[in-house]
Amino acid sequence: MEGALEVTGNPWNKVAVVGAGLIKMGELFDQGFEDMAKGAYDAACASVDHGIDSSAFDGVFLATQRGTLWGQEGIAGNTVPSAIGLSGIACTRIENACPSGSDAFRVACMAVASGVHDVVLVIGVEKMRDKSAEEGLLARAASGHPILTRGESAPVLFAPFATRHMHEFGTTREHLAAVAVKNHHNGALDPYAHFRNEVSIDDVLASPPVCHPLHLLDCCPQTDGAAAVIVCAPERAKDFTDKPVMVAGFGLATDHPYLHEKSTFVGLPATVLASQRAYEMAGVGPSDIDCAEVHDCFTITEILDIEDLGFCDKGKGGPFTADGNTALDGSIPVNTSGGLLAKGHPIGATGIAQLTELWWQLREEAGDRQVALRTGYALQHNAGGRGSGVSVVNILNRV
Amino acid sequence: MALLGVGVGVPSWRLAAGDIATAWGGRGGRGSIAVCGPDEDTLTLAWTACDALLAETGASPDDIDGLWWGTTRPPFAEGPSWSHLAATLRLGPATVGAVTAGSPHAGVEALLAAADAIAAGTVAQAVVVTSDALLPGTGTTLEPACGAAATAVLLGPATDDAPAVIGPRAGRWMPALDRYRGDHEDTTRDVYDGRLFREEVFLPLATDTASALGTDSRWSLPDPDGRLGGALARKIGTDQVVSADVRKALGDTGAAAALTGLVPALTTPGAAALLAFGGGRATAVGIDVRAAVPGAERAVADLAAEGTPASYAQVLRARGQLEPAGEHVEMAVPPGSAMFVRGNAEILGLVGGRCVDCATVNFPHSIHPACLGCGGDKFDSVPLSRNGTVQTFVINHAMPAPFVAPLPLVCVDLDDGSRVMFQGEGTGAELAIGSPVDLVLRRYAIERGVPVYGWKVRSR
Repeated sequence: MEGALEVTGNPWNKVAVVGAGLIKMGELFDQGFEDMAKGAYDAACASVDHGIDSSAFDGVFLATQRGTLWGQEGIAGNTVPSAIGLSGIACTRIENACPSGSDAFRVACMAVASGVHDVVLVIGVEKMRDKSAEEGLLARAASGHPILTRGESAPVLFAPFATRHMHEFGTTREHLAAVAVKNHHNGALDPYAHFRNEVSIDDVLASPPVCHPLHLLDCCPQTDGAAAVIVCAPERAKDFTDKPVMVAGFGLATDHPYLHEKSTFVGLPATVLASQRAYEMAGVGPSDIDCAEVHDCFTITEILDIEDLGFCDKGKGGPFTADGNTALDGSIPVNTSGGLLAKGHPIGATGIAQLTELWWQLREEAGDRQVALRTGYALQHNAGGRGSGVSVVNILNRV
Repeated sequence: MALLGVGVGVPSWRLAAGDIATAWGGRGGRGSIAVCGPDEDTLTLAWTACDALLAETGASPDDIDGLWWGTTRPPFAEGPSWSHLAATLRLGPATVGAVTAGSPHAGVEALLAAADAIAAGTVAQAVVVTSDALLPGTGTTLEPACGAAATAVLLGPATDDAPAVIGPRAGRWMPALDRYRGDHEDTTRDVYDGRLFREEVFLPLATDTASALGTDSRWSLPDPDGRLGGALARKIGTDQVVSADVRKALGDTGAAAALTGLVPALTTPGAAALLAFGGGRATAVGIDVRAAVPGAERAVADLAAEGTPASYAQVLRARGQLEPAGEHVEMAVPPGSAMFVRGNAEILGLVGGRCVDCATVNFPHSIHPACLGCGGDKFDSVPLSRNGTVQTFVINHAMPAPFVAPLPLVCVDLDDGSRVMFQGEGTGAELAIGSPVDLVLRRYAIERGVPVYGWKVRSR
C-alpha cells in the first residue's frame, strides 16, 4: 500500500508522544530562564493536533543541567511550574549531565507506563549565556577533582578520543570536518537552529584550535534554549491527535567517569550498552532505524556515536560520513536538525529538542529536512558527564 | 660523615639579563639566569634533585629516615612544606628532619644539621636538599642575578669505601643587614649599600671563615652579584673556584648555591670545600672527595642543560608579579577542605590501590571504594610507576585565567600496567601516542594563596 510502513520488531508502545515543540535556539539575551520555559511549553501545546489545556497535565519532568549559569540550580523544579502557569502540579527536576533531557523523557515514560501519571509535560531548559563563556563551560577547567581534572574544559572530555581514533583508524581532520559540514547544512534548513550558515571543509580546518585535535568548528556553541514534549498513555492519545508517535524503547547506561579509567578511547561503552538496551526493548536493530539525532557536541562525538550505535563498523565512522551515508538523502540520515553543532546544545533542552525533530520526521512534518521513511523508527541519543559516563538512547516509532 | 651521592634540579626556563635591563631602560645585563616556569618552585626543584639522587644512588625511600631541606623560600612560608616534600619522596611515617630557612645560609644549616643527626646516631641515612628560587623586587639590581636550582645529597655514617667524607667546618657571624625581606614583604630587597656590604661585611666575614677552615681546596664560593665571588677568591688566594661555571650558567641560587657550586668537584678525587653566606653568617665545610660521587656526572650535565628561553613578561607572570585583569576561576575544591585531607598523601605520593582479587590498580584509591575492574573492595597500597607511554593526549587552547594555554593533558599507560591522566609539561609539541614519558612533580596552582602540587607528564 502506498506509504505503508513495514513495522518490524515488538516495540514497547506503552507511551505516546502527542505534542512537541521548541523555541529558536541561540544567545537569547532577551529571554530569561522562565521566558524560555514558557516558550517551549507554549510551542508543545500548540503542536497538539486537537488542542490541549493546562488542566490536562498531571505531571512535569524538568531537565536542566547547569543551573549555576542562571543562579537557581537547586530549585528549578519549583520555579518552572510557576513560570509556565502550572503551579500546583507535581514536578521533578532531572539532572543527568548532557543526557538530562533524554533521561527526563525516559523517566516520564516510566511514570506514565506505571499508571502513576496520565499526561506529562517533559520540558528541558538551559540558560548557557546569562554568564560569560569564561564563567560557563570554560570554568569547568577548574571543576571536579583538584588534580585529576585540572584543565578539563568540555573539549578535553572528547578530544582524547579524536587523537586515539585518528591513530588507530586513520581518521583525519577532514573526516571530522565532514560532520560539521553536514550538520551545518542541515542547520541552515532548520528555522530553530542557532547557526543557519553553511560551512566548508576548509572553513573547519582553518578555524582556530580549541583543544587539539579539535578546532572551533569541530565544537558546538554555547546556546540558550528550551524544548518540550507531551507524553501520555496510549489510550489517551486519541484525545490529542490522530498521528501519535509511540515510544518503542529506551536505554540508559553508565561508565567510569575519569578519563584514565576508560577502557577504550575509540568508543563510548555507555552508548553501546544504552543502545543495546533500547534496541532490545524496541525489538529492532540499527538497520531498522530511519533517521537519528545523536550527540555531536564535537565532530568526533558523532563519529563515535554512529559506530557505537551500530550504523557503521567501528573505525569506519569518518569515511562513512565523508561518503554521505549520514546526509539527509543518505542510508541513515543523522542529525537532520543540524545537531548540537549547528542547532546548539542547551544542555537540559538538547535531548528534548532532538526528540522534537524526530517527532516531526516520523509525522513527515520536517519540511526541507524530511527524510524518506522506510520502517518508521527513529533513534535519539545523548552522551555526557565526566568522561561520557552516562548515555541515553530513546527509540520512537510511527504506528 | 659520608657523602654517598648527589643529584640536582634545574628549572626549565632561562631569562636573559639583557631583557630585564631593556624593560627598565637600563644598559648592559650579561648572561642569563635560571628561573622557574609557572609550575615550578623550590618544592618541585627539591623533588627533582632528590629524585635524581635516589635514582643515581639506588637508595630506597625505606632506608632514609631523615630529611633536611634548606631554602629561603619554603612554598608555605608557614605550613606543611616539609611534609609535602616527604610525601612526594614516599618517605616513611617516622622520618625526622627540618626545614631551615631565613637566609641563603639555610642550605649549609640543613647540611650540618643532618650530619650532626647522623653523628649522634639518631638518623641512619639522611637526604639533605637545598633549593631556592629567589623572588627579587622588580627592577632591582638584584633581579638579573637571582637564579634558581636545587642540589640534594645523601648522607650516612662514614665508612672506608665512602666516595666522599664531610670534614672540618668553620663559621663566623656578625649582626649586619645584607639581603633582606621583612615578614610582610613578598620580594627580597637588595643590600643597602653595595660598597659597604662588600668591604665591611661580605669580604671580611667570608675571608675570615675560609681562613679558619684552613684548607687549600677546590672552592664553592658565594657570589651574590656576579662579582663578589671573584673578589673573594682573590682575597682567599685561590684560583680553584669550581662554582664559577655553575654561577655563570644559573645565576645566584641562594640557599642552594653552596652545594650546587660544589657539584663539579664531586666528579674527581681531591680536597674540596664550600662556603655559604647569608643572614650575617658565613660557614665553610671541607669535603674529602675520595672517588667520583654517585650522581655527580649526571648532575654536572643537568646543570649545564640549556633550558628554554623565556621572556621577561613570561617570567613575571610565572612569579605572580604580572597578573591578568579580570576574575580568576576558582578551584572547585578549596585546598583546605576535607578532600585534600583525605586524598593529598596518595596524590603527592602517587599511591594507588591494587585490588587483591583482580590486581587492577585504582588511582587514586580514596575515590575508588570499589575496584574499577571487578567491583572488589580489598586493596593493597602500591606506589605507581612514574614511567610509561602515551595512550592519548590533547592540547587545550581555550581556558579562562588562571590557566595558561597551551595546556597538554595526557593519558599515560604506566609500566606497571596502571593508567593515569595528568597535565603535560610545556607546550606538548613532542607528544605522540606510544611515545615514552615520565611523571614529574609540578605545582598545579596557587589556589586561594595555597600551593597545590601534582604530577605532570614529561616527554622522555
